[in-house]
Amino acid sequence: MCGLPFPVDENVLIGIGTSDDAGVYKISEELALIQTVDFFTPIVDDPFDFGRIAAANALSDVYAMGGLPKTAMNLVAFPLQKLGGEILREVLSGGIEKLKESGTVLLGGHSIEDDEFKYGLSVTGFVHPQKILANQGLQPGDCLILTKPLGTGIINTAIKGGLASQSTIEMAVKVMATLNKYAAEVMTHFPVTACTDITGFGLLGHIAEMISGTDTGITIYSRLVPVLPETIEFASMGLVPSGAHRNRNFRKDMVNLKSNITPVMRDILFDPQTSGGLLIGCPEKQSQNLIKRLIDNGVEQAATIGQVYGEKADQDIRGIITVE
Amino acid sequence: MSKILDARGLSCPAPVLMVKKALDDASETTLNDEYLNEITIIVDNEASMENVSRFLTSRGFNVEVLSEGSDFKIVGKADATVQSASSEQTTSHRNSPATVPENSPSSIADAKQQKIVIFIATDRMGFGDDELGKKLMTSFIKTIKEMGDELWRLVFVNNGVKLTIEGSSVLEDLIEYERGGLKIMVCGTCLTHFNLLDAKRVGETTNMLDIVTAMQLADKVIKI
Repeated sequence: MCGLPFPVDENVLIGIGTSDDAGVYKISEELALIQTVDFFTPIVDDPFDFGRIAAANALSDVYAMGGLPKTAMNLVAFPLQKLGGEILREVLSGGIEKLKESGTVLLGGHSIEDDEFKYGLSVTGFVHPQKILANQGLQPGDCLILTKPLGTGIINTAIKGGLASQSTIEMAVKVMATLNKYAAEVMTHFPVTACTDITGFGLLGHIAEMISGTDTGITIYSRLVPVLPETIEFASMGLVPSGAHRNRNFRKDMVNLKSNITPVMRDILFDPQTSGGLLIGCPEKQSQNLIKRLIDNGVEQAATIGQVYGEKADQDIRGIITVE
Repeated sequence: MSKILDARGLSCPAPVLMVKKALDDASETTLNDEYLNEITIIVDNEASMENVSRFLTSRGFNVEVLSEGSDFKIVGKADATVQSASSEQTTSHRNSPATVPENSPSSIADAKQQKIVIFIATDRMGFGDDELGKKLMTSFIKTIKEMGDELWRLVFVNNGVKLTIEGSSVLEDLIEYERGGLKIMVCGTCLTHFNLLDAKRVGETTNMLDIVTAMQLADKVIKI
């Protein structure tokens, strides 16, 4: 999108220029609007589950900005002749279930006929202009906390290939349909320095966005990163989505993999996630307490997975993600 | 038998699934000269090249990748252990009457020796006293070599995987069995669950599909 003549407005607090999760527009000194949109083709067979996942995914961007979702609109492209109205009804019901859980109202939407089914939502939320959580802002010594396990891209690839077991599908659906609301509720009570949600660029791709263009250096401890069951087995079989390879090529200059990182683990760390967890930066002093509160609030797989280098870090590890 | 597949124009996971189907089809066959011992796949992108190479490696092939313009040619050659694995699979298919080659010499040889799988889902034997249970398990593992060549696979799941890690009282024995050619399969999901992937010192990390396949091909499965 570089070079296009975007309109300028001084009330745009976060716009298209940074790689943030959503746009933010200031209405007053106390109130700013968060806007985001996301839609995709079905990733699971069950229409109700697909609806829940698409809605959880669209809502996530608002939570990642530190805001509360308020209103939403459906976006539907649907082959009515081929699939029939009942399936669409199921999908939309799944979406509505998640909107209700998040306290968001559906104001309407737009649908078109299309050979390929796509569903998603545009979501609008509120945030106090002083409490926006951007991607960038990590401070020396901060801990990085991840709130959902990785592996949904690899498991979705195995589902496409008909190789995933029912229990693995259920586990992945549960993780993808879980709202980041519960993590966000806890996060707002802590001095969080930066936050994003893990989606298409994979864990390392999104961490790269958090430090891109800065001299912040980070270590990720792969053994601490929670991973969904069977992800390692599927990745060992080569069931890795092409997005993982693209993510890796795109960020290879920013990532230093230590020799203990296997190609399988590397691909998991770059695996594009659907409705992934939040990645939260917070001072080390508060991180233990944050994890405890997250787990108490039902975010059971929350884990500290890495740390920002201190102020005295060597020059050659600045702007780099070291994975060990 | 060798086979060439053209997976250009396909994106992940289609090339891997194409190769998987070719291998599965080949293992269904009953004729010795149709064992797939070499397979070549042509792909047009790096992601597919890595995925297909990894898949073939996971199936025991020796893999070589040749760059041809913007395409990659992946050549997988079955090594000796894969050949024996595919003949095992074929053996199971011989049970169906329609495909039995009556006087095949290898089926007579196979009939003489049974294949035993020992499925170990715990690190102690029996219920009651745990200390005793652990001693019994140590003694059991040290004694199973008496089964000789009929012992075909050892499968470790759930708490059983703890017998394969650093500090296990039977680690030395298991390593020796593996060196002697016994295949030891350790459940990857279980290792991950206990956070013991790095601590495992013997056997190969495996998945449920391989475990189920081993059970299906075995003549006898002993559960501990």
